[in-house]
Amino acid sequence: MTTKPAQPYWNPYLAGVGLGLVLLTSFVVMGRGLGASGAFASVLTTGLHAVVPGHVANTAPFAEYLGNGTTSPLKDWLVFEILGVIVGGFIFGSLAHRISKTVEKGPNITTARRFGFAFLGGALMGVGAKFARGCTSGQALTGGALLNAGSWAFMIMVFVGAYAFAYLMRRQWQ
Amino acid sequence: MTMGDLMNKLSLNSRLAATAFVLGLVALFAGSPYHGADATVNTKELALVMATDADQVTATTLADWLVQGRADFRIVDVRTAPAFAEYHLPSAENIPVTGLNRTSLQHNEKIVVYADDGARAAQAWLLLRAKGYQGAVLLRGGLEAWKDSVLFPRIPENPTPAQSEAFAKAREVSTFFGGAPQSGAGDAGAVRQVAMPTLTMPSANVAGAPKKKKKEGC
Amino acid sequence: MTAPFFKFGMFGDNIGLVIAFAIGIGFGFFLERAGFGSARKLAAQFYFKDLAVFKVMFTAIVTAMLGVYYLSVLGFMDLSLIYLTPTFLAPQLVGGLIFGVGFVVGGYCPGTACVAAATGRLDALVFALGVFAGIFAFGEIYPIVSTFNDSTSLGQLTIPTAAHLPYGLIVFAVVLMALGGFYGAEWMEKHMAARKAGA
Repeated sequence: MTTKPAQPYWNPYLAGVGLGLVLLTSFVVMGRGLGASGAFASVLTTGLHAVVPGHVANTAPFAEYLGNGTTSPLKDWLVFEILGVIVGGFIFGSLAHRISKTVEKGPNITTARRFGFAFLGGALMGVGAKFARGCTSGQALTGGALLNAGSWAFMIMVFVGAYAFAYLMRRQWQ
Repeated sequence: MTMGDLMNKLSLNSRLAATAFVLGLVALFAGSPYHGADATVNTKELALVMATDADQVTATTLADWLVQGRADFRIVDVRTAPAFAEYHLPSAENIPVTGLNRTSLQHNEKIVVYADDGARAAQAWLLLRAKGYQGAVLLRGGLEAWKDSVLFPRIPENPTPAQSEAFAKAREVSTFFGGAPQSGAGDAGAVRQVAMPTLTMPSANVAGAPKKKKKEGC
Repeated sequence: MTAPFFKFGMFGDNIGLVIAFAIGIGFGFFLERAGFGSARKLAAQFYFKDLAVFKVMFTAIVTAMLGVYYLSVLGFMDLSLIYLTPTFLAPQLVGGLIFGVGFVVGGYCPGTACVAAATGRLDALVFALGVFAGIFAFGEIYPIVSTFNDSTSLGQLTIPTAAHLPYGLIVFAVVLMALGGFYGAEWMEKHMAARKAGA
């Protein structure tokens, strides 16, 4: 969509310091870290609640996102945070001329297959994040900085799982 | 060569690495980040709160909140675990006094503390206030008052119409919590014979009593 | 001691949501600038070609960890008031493994997919649908897995507590590990680039 070439990415260490300071700000101001998968769960719960309210109330992993029932599950800290991520990603992606309607994949795989893998990968992550009580943001980053024992166990296994399956997935990316 | 000159010669990455290393090294000797036991109190502020009775809630008021199903407060029972298991207020959590130092309580929520009598609860209340829990209040008269005015209310001898009306209401509230209103006046000894309500009945979240708080994590 | 501000009642839930949005924008900014809106860049981590995921993640962890530690030591922040996700060791190990496989298959994680989708990556949208499907599937199989999901509950547990070591020592160890890892990552990237040039 943009004609200008995209700006280069930042030095990863500088971006990391920035990300760390955002996380630290969240600790100082709110007393909690960042998250992402929780927002997905809240949105899903809201959707399901509109369609099958009884089922949501009887399914513990959904019911816990309903809260006390007086406010919408969307009026949630993580949902607003993720809205910010989307808005921020869009604004600063535009400023860096990096908005483009594309599919991220290697040259040796069709778009349809890439979509299939993207869906499957997302589903695996949804399940994994539920078992782990969090994702890369909520567990690895937040728990990592707080020296949370479970978060470090999670983080190590994420790298183990990803490297173990990297060879099988090489055609998708290379 | 000064430290500044050295830093200027290094690349950005090396400077970041050096900073992290120095901060990490100092952390070895800087001690624990937890400030568990020390606390300060503002005696004037506390005195003011006590003088205006803003530190207390009566058993009847608390009963009203529970009946209304209000979810904007937490009830903390600071007695021992066996006593808690025997009987506790609906939706109460058991945090013995020694556990008050590290709890999941939040500094911005209303916390009602109680024990068997007023004194023990007042001590716990002072601990919480000292730890900065601004919303802590204590149940006036403790569990004794809860029994007397909520579970086993009693109508005075020769009641005035107003007193009769109040008792009619107390009767309903008492039944709600599984208590037994005492209609016969003067039989002080008989009151204690009445069995405490079984736990299952009132704590079963009647009328939408406080549900589990939404979790905070990811 | 004045922080965390929210827990000391300096503002209410609604202001908290505004702050959530602002923090999210900052989060999105750095994810975007780090290149985490691109699945190819993220996945390159697992082929040792571009170790940005590792570098950014561990720099962020070290930065926030040092910040939390020093603000608490200096008495500005009460560390015990910061929410710590409870540890359930077995489900977190298994969950991490599944999550890691999902990472190399899908190419994103839930947070980075939001940035990628916002910058037009269609596969990130499909990935996000997958995340919904996964969370839904977990809810449906929950009666079967709930026992395992709640097993090995260790409560709120930090590494210093679990290892009976001083907090500062673990902080120093994490800094050393990260610096060693960064040094190795730089070497690995040069090595892989040289191999590619030679081939």
